[in-house]
Amino acid sequence: MPIDFPSEEWTAAYQNAINQSPDYQEAGKTWTHGAIAFVVPKEPAVGLEDDTAFILDLHQGECRKAWLSTVDEAKQQPFCITGSYSQWKAVMRKELDPIKGMMQGKLKLKGNLPVIVRFVKAAQVLVELTGTIDTKFLDE
Amino acid sequence: MSYDADLNFVYAHTHKVAFGVNVVKDLGTFVGEMGLKKAVVITDSFLAEKTDLLERVKKPLGPLFAGAFTGVIPDPTAPSVDEGAAYAKEQGADVLISLGGGSAIDTAKGIAVVLKEGGKVLDHEGYHALEHPQTPHIAIPTTAGTGSEMTMVTVIKDPERKQKTFIGSYFLHPNLAILDPTLTTGLPPKLTAATGMDAMSHAVECLISSLGQPLSDAYALEAIRLITKYLPTCLEKPDDLLARGQMLIAANMAGSAFSNAMVSLNHAMAHTLGARHGIHHGTANGILLPHTMRFFMDVSAVEFARVAVAMGIDTAGMSAEDAGNRAADKIEQLVKDTGLTDRLQDYNVTEEDLPVLADVATTDGCIIYSPKPVFDTEEIAGIMRKVM
Repeated sequence: MPIDFPSEEWTAAYQNAINQSPDYQEAGKTWTHGAIAFVVPKEPAVGLEDDTAFILDLHQGECRKAWLSTVDEAKQQPFCITGSYSQWKAVMRKELDPIKGMMQGKLKLKGNLPVIVRFVKAAQVLVELTGTIDTKFLDE
Repeated sequence: MSYDADLNFVYAHTHKVAFGVNVVKDLGTFVGEMGLKKAVVITDSFLAEKTDLLERVKKPLGPLFAGAFTGVIPDPTAPSVDEGAAYAKEQGADVLISLGGGSAIDTAKGIAVVLKEGGKVLDHEGYHALEHPQTPHIAIPTTAGTGSEMTMVTVIKDPERKQKTFIGSYFLHPNLAILDPTLTTGLPPKLTAATGMDAMSHAVECLISSLGQPLSDAYALEAIRLITKYLPTCLEKPDDLLARGQMLIAANMAGSAFSNAMVSLNHAMAHTLGARHGIHHGTANGILLPHTMRFFMDVSAVEFARVAVAMGIDTAGMSAEDAGNRAADKIEQLVKDTGLTDRLQDYNVTEEDLPVLADVATTDGCIIYSPKPVFDTEEIAGIMRKVM
C-alpha cells in the first residue's frame, strides 16, 4: 500500500531501505559528517498545510535514526537541504539531479557543499532508494 | 554539446558590467547612482602599498571613501574575512569595493554576507541558503583570469577544519563589475600568462561539463577566441590596452560561463597540486589542460572541435577527433609560447606522489562535472605524469 510523502511511516520506510542497501553501505562507508535534514516548506496547493522536515542520522554507511522533525531542529543539523514539494518529487522520480538542483538553486543547502559533492555516489544511491518506496504523493 | 528536448537550466551572473579605458574614474558616479554613501575598499597590502591602484580607486570616490581594508590574503581564510568584516562595520560601510584578483573579490563577498547577516562568515556556508540581497559590492579585477567578478560563489578556507568551504547564492553576484584595462598593465608576465590560462581552462572545461548549456557555450567560445588572439599580445606588449582590455573581457566571459556550467577534472587536479605543492592555480590549469583534453577526446571530440574553430583552426574536412586534437595541440603550443614551461618536478612532485595526488583529486568537488566518470586514480596520475 502506498505511503504518504512526507510522513512518519515514509521516513521509517526510507531508513529501512537505506539499511538494506549494500550499495549505500559501500558508498557511504566513510561518511562521518553527521545528520542530513530535509525541509519541505508548506504548500497548501498540493495539500501540504505545514512546513515539514525529516532528518537522517547517517554514519559510515548506516542510517542510525530517521525521524520527522521541526524545521528548527532540521536547521540545526550539519546539513540541511530545503526544496519545494514539487522539486523533491522531481528528485525522487529522478527527473532532477540533486547536485544540479543545488547548483541551480532549486534545492537550497545549508552546510559544506564540497563535503556533499565528495559523496556524490552516496547521494545518488540515497535518491535511487527513494524510488524503492511505494510512495503516494499528496497531489496525486 | 548537443542538447536534448529536456534541456533545462538557470543562467545568472553579475547584474552590470562597465568596461573601458579609465572607466574606474566613474566609480564615484556608479556608487552615487546606487544611492550609497560609505565605500570601503577591500584589497591586499601589495596593491595598497606598492602600486598606485588604491589611490586610483580612492580619488574618484572622493567623500564616499570610508576606508580601505588591506588585509586580503591569497586563498582567503575565515578569520581574514571576519577581520575585514569587523573593519568594514566599524567604518559604517554600505558598499564594498573589491580591488585585486580572485582573493580580494572572494573576501569582499564573504564580508558582504557578514555585514548583512551578522555572526561569522562560516555561519553562512551553504549553497543558495541566503534569503536576502547582501551588502552591495562593486568588483574591480586587476587580473584577467579568475572571473570571480561574475560568479555567485566565494571560496573560504576554514583553518580549523583544514577545509575549503563555499558560500554560493544568486545574492552574492557583485552588483557591478568594473573592467578597466589600465589596472592590469602592471601585471608581471608570468602572472599574465598563468591567469590567462586559468581563464582558458574555465572556458574549455565549461564546454565539456555535464552542466553545460547554450548560454555558457556562447560565452566560453568567445572567451577562447579572445584569449587565443590577445594573450600573446599582452605578453609581448604589456602596455597594449586593446589586448589587456580584450583579456579582461575574455576572463569575464569565461567567469560567467563557469559560474553556471562549472569546471571539472582539470580544475580538480589544479586544486590538488595547489594545495599540496603550492603550484599556482593558473599555471597548473594551463600545463594540464591539453592533456586533459586528450583524455576526454573519446567523449568530447565534438566540443573540442568547436574549441578548434574558436581558436582559428581551419577544420574543414577534418573529423571531430582530428579537429579536437588540433585544438589540444594549439593550446599546448600557446602554453609554451606564454612561457609556462613549468613541470611538476619543479615543485618537488615525485613519481611516488602521483597516486596520492590522484586520489585527492578524485575527492575534489569539481570532478563530478566531468564529461565521463573519472574514478580510476591511475588514469588521473597518467595525466599528471605527462607534465612531470
